[in-house]
Amino acid sequence: MSMPLPEQQAQMSIPLLLKTLLADGESPSMTRVLKISVGVLVISLAIVFFALLTQGHAAFNTNSYGITWGLPISTYVFLVLTSTGLTFIASLSMLFGFEEFYPVAKRCVWLAVVTLVAGFTVLALELGHPFRMLWAVPLGMQYVSPMFWMGVFYTLYLVLLLAKFWRINAGDWDSPLSRALGIASFVSVVIAHSTLGLLFGMMAMRPMWYDAMLPVYFLITAALSGAAFTVAFTYLSYDIDRKKMAPALREMAFGRALPNVFATLIGITILAAVSRTITGLWSNLDGLQVYAHLVRSPLFQAEFWLGLVLPFFLMLSPTLQRQRKMQVTAAVLVMVSLFIGRLEFLVVGQMLPVFKGSWIPGFIEYTPSFTEWMLVVVAVALTFLLYAAGDKLFRLDEYPGPKGEEMAPQGAGAR
Amino acid sequence: MKWGMVIDLEKCTGCQACSVACGMENNRLPGEHWQDVLFYTEGEYPSAQLKWFPRPCMHCENPSCMHVCPTGATYKTEDGAVLINWDKCIGCKYCMIACPYGVRFYTDEKPLVEPNVKTVFKSDGEHSWSPPWRMPATREDWKRGVGVQPNDVVSKCTFCYHRISKAPKGVADLDPNDPNLRDYTPACVVTCAPGARYFGDLDNPESEVSKLIAKKRGVRLLDHLGNKPQVYYLAGEAGAVPSSRANNKS
Repeated sequence: MSMPLPEQQAQMSIPLLLKTLLADGESPSMTRVLKISVGVLVISLAIVFFALLTQGHAAFNTNSYGITWGLPISTYVFLVLTSTGLTFIASLSMLFGFEEFYPVAKRCVWLAVVTLVAGFTVLALELGHPFRMLWAVPLGMQYVSPMFWMGVFYTLYLVLLLAKFWRINAGDWDSPLSRALGIASFVSVVIAHSTLGLLFGMMAMRPMWYDAMLPVYFLITAALSGAAFTVAFTYLSYDIDRKKMAPALREMAFGRALPNVFATLIGITILAAVSRTITGLWSNLDGLQVYAHLVRSPLFQAEFWLGLVLPFFLMLSPTLQRQRKMQVTAAVLVMVSLFIGRLEFLVVGQMLPVFKGSWIPGFIEYTPSFTEWMLVVVAVALTFLLYAAGDKLFRLDEYPGPKGEEMAPQGAGAR
Repeated sequence: MKWGMVIDLEKCTGCQACSVACGMENNRLPGEHWQDVLFYTEGEYPSAQLKWFPRPCMHCENPSCMHVCPTGATYKTEDGAVLINWDKCIGCKYCMIACPYGVRFYTDEKPLVEPNVKTVFKSDGEHSWSPPWRMPATREDWKRGVGVQPNDVVSKCTFCYHRISKAPKGVADLDPNDPNLRDYTPACVVTCAPGARYFGDLDNPESEVSKLIAKKRGVRLLDHLGNKPQVYYLAGEAGAVPSSRANNKS
């Protein structure tokens, strides 16, 4: 079924596009976000490219003596799992009938696209030969490699997600095609994130990662990541002011459904983190001694108590859970905690030297280099830039009306 | 045909001549030890022991590095070597994660020693650096990971594939003491002064390596992981193969 795009989008010329992007419109804060993120992105990209062109990947602090995958890879994992989680949140209303989540569905789909693109960007800049990857992976057909399947399914997911966004942006929320795209993108991301989980989980030689249930652990933490991004970015679009929200969204923000979902996801994540840590501390298996080192790290303690336990109680408390500031605080704390968690998972899993003798007598130390941090800045700036652009170009607050009724303004003729 | 190596730990003196020979033969950078002898200590004064352990690539029968490679850059030859095709490697480093023996090296890293050899002997644009000594260009073979590698790829021990692949067909052992076979024998085996290294066909029950493994009860490193290394160690009375990968066992 072909749908005419909204007139102003279909005929948008470059000057008009720029004008739309820079106009304050309904959310002046988004214009500010857009301008700042463009500036930050240009500067950070320039720094990264300069480092890569002059020093190559020697600009990273990763090396063959142990920490082979560092901050850029953990940032990639963080972002693509966030994208996964955002698709889960969007699917709550679009696939599973929890209609109270409709007001954030479109925003989640766009943010899922944005975080996925940012994740791929970081990965491309980390890889030795990103352009060679484009032909060597499809032609190689290494079907026993989990990384091959991760590439296949995350690429498929990106295509389906863009197609789904194209449909809902045209006001088509519920046609057979739109539903099929929704189901397909949900299924593809469940498989994609599982292959990412298995990419680590199947590595028997890395006992800290070796875990057949790692895809499930990633599923839970991805959902939590998605929920935190949903809360934080939705409030960002409305200047953390509920009065500016549409009635249904305001109802959702005031309601108990959102904090309850959030608290449940944090709770399960805490359980998973505790069970992983206790197993690691209890077991004598060579390779798990890293857990004793991990729990002594202040970063781990902060990540656990401030980043998970505190937001859990904030979102559990009947008096605090519905306050906007508490919701935003909880979301930001969880986002930071999960970001640290991904880095820890990645680095601590490689901390034990593998036959390095007296070259490395203890655990391997790793501090990301300036260039690696700049790659994170690139990813963050790109996320904010694309999100703000999306917020201005597409009506991310759209959602379908009650059953049988036509869509909000731009969705005329949806069914 | 399955090339394999046997290292007699009772004979190894830890002199590192193998590591130096490998570095010279294959133009390795400082720290890029395709072949290394690892030193470690056990026990406490006055009962402390200094131990060492020679570690080339294990050229596993069931190589996890090959299985994880998303492009097929890492592959196994019909005669049993695990090699890297530098023209296919995308530098994702997953193989370095998946190798239980830590034998793989990424090209682009901060230098281990100063001055940075790569800036002293600058790249010619094709290779990652231009060593003042270098194997003849005719021997260089990027499809097999032989020679000076380009930037942004992973490299590792090839069992000196440029040598062993030229060996007479059907030979059971490459004995460095046989003048006819010496040039086909891996550099580390040729140079080993105490003669602790043996190289031959593991599929041939008549080969010296097969006999040594049988008679002296050859063992493989981290055998429980199932990679089935094609490098065997004869522990004898000199001690055992390390049971764990790291020094720090606390």
